[in-house]
Amino acid sequence: MRVFILGLLACASAQAALLGSISVGDVRPDLFLLLVFFLSPRVSPEVATLQGFVIGLCQDALSGGPLGLRAFTYTLLSFVTAWLSHDLATEKPLAQLWLLLAGATGAGVLTFALLTFFVGLLPLLPALGVIAPEAVYTAVVGFLLLRLPQLRAALVRAI
Amino acid sequence: MRVSVLWRVLARHRRVVILAVVLLAAFLLMTAQVRHDRAVVSFVRQAILFTASPFIKLTAVTVGSVSHVWQNYVDLRGLRQENLRLQRAAAIQQRRIDQLEEQVLETQRLQGLLAMREAWRAEFVAARVVGKDATNWFKTILIDRGSRAGMRRNLPVVAPDGLVGRIVDVTPSTAKVQLITDPVSAAGALMQRTRVTGIVTGNLGAGLRVRYLPLLADVVVGDEVVTSGMGGIFPKGIPVGRVTAVERASGALFQEAVLQPKVDLGRLEEVVVLMNSEQREGFETGSRQQQ
Repeated sequence: MRVFILGLLACASAQAALLGSISVGDVRPDLFLLLVFFLSPRVSPEVATLQGFVIGLCQDALSGGPLGLRAFTYTLLSFVTAWLSHDLATEKPLAQLWLLLAGATGAGVLTFALLTFFVGLLPLLPALGVIAPEAVYTAVVGFLLLRLPQLRAALVRAI
Repeated sequence: MRVSVLWRVLARHRRVVILAVVLLAAFLLMTAQVRHDRAVVSFVRQAILFTASPFIKLTAVTVGSVSHVWQNYVDLRGLRQENLRLQRAAAIQQRRIDQLEEQVLETQRLQGLLAMREAWRAEFVAARVVGKDATNWFKTILIDRGSRAGMRRNLPVVAPDGLVGRIVDVTPSTAKVQLITDPVSAAGALMQRTRVTGIVTGNLGAGLRVRYLPLLADVVVGDEVVTSGMGGIFPKGIPVGRVTAVERASGALFQEAVLQPKVDLGRLEEVVVLMNSEQREGFETGSRQQQ
């Protein structure tokens, strides 16, 4: 619980105040989504569902989107991640990267579908221009965070 | 008997039931927003913003300080002993120059704001940008003035160069501003040369568009677009952007214009919130005077 609250506050602060400086061409990694990916495999699907909802709600409140949009997306992703965590657990770097990419793309597609359903204004091509770069950037940041212990060890060995 | 059976079934499928309930809650929240039932939505949003905004402000200040310290550390690290004093002196001088340059830039920006106040004869509150939208889908910023400074929903926000957006959420110490480039943003627009009206909307990741321009209207690249004052939120005559392309799809009832926003919305540091909407008539005269 403490990890969840601290992670949520850290993400909220970092995403709103820090990401401007690491955005590439106005594309920012989705740290809340990474929080979902990192927390969900460690808890039961029931808890993951509630965690995903709260994380999404925070993301919605801090962004300009309709409240519930990310809450819906992250609830579903959180549930699926927790449910499949035993089957999908892997230490292979490339597989981890692909899984993160697939998850981030799934979140983007689901967001697009919900926005189209509720707001009905988004043409497909510009939306893909948002989904794909965000998914790639999020997956790369998530992968680097996952590999942080190994990277640190390699760095220490090198020094 | 039936209740206990139902209870047993629910308990057995607890996982799916919880998922369905939570998904339904999220779905209902979105539906409430689309139906303009804002009470619950606004409460939840403000509660979360109220909780998170101190941490966001603290992070912004901390990051600024840490990056300053880190920059100094990086600058000084690795210098030879005999050059240390000179390097320090140079660093101090450099910092002073940086501070002076920063002050010059800030003064220029503030002079722009003052000139805008003179020209538009409007009451306003200046605010600093302390956060940007967390997603790539929407374009909002967080400013360091809230309801304690008189902020409220739908107040127009501008910069010296032109329109920025409007306030959509307010907490006691911060307010969220929806930028004009946000895909769900819309404002009445007026082509300054020909006085043709349309609606300027955000355009997912690609600037602005003026929609609903009559097919036969005279619109050319380079035309200046200002707010029309229709819609009741934005005063008339605030510069919005310049036309960079005109699109007439075959069979369409209207033509559309692509705009380059007047304000560089990616580099906003200070903005101005217009407080008194009753002085709206002064704006167009003011913006023309500025030209």
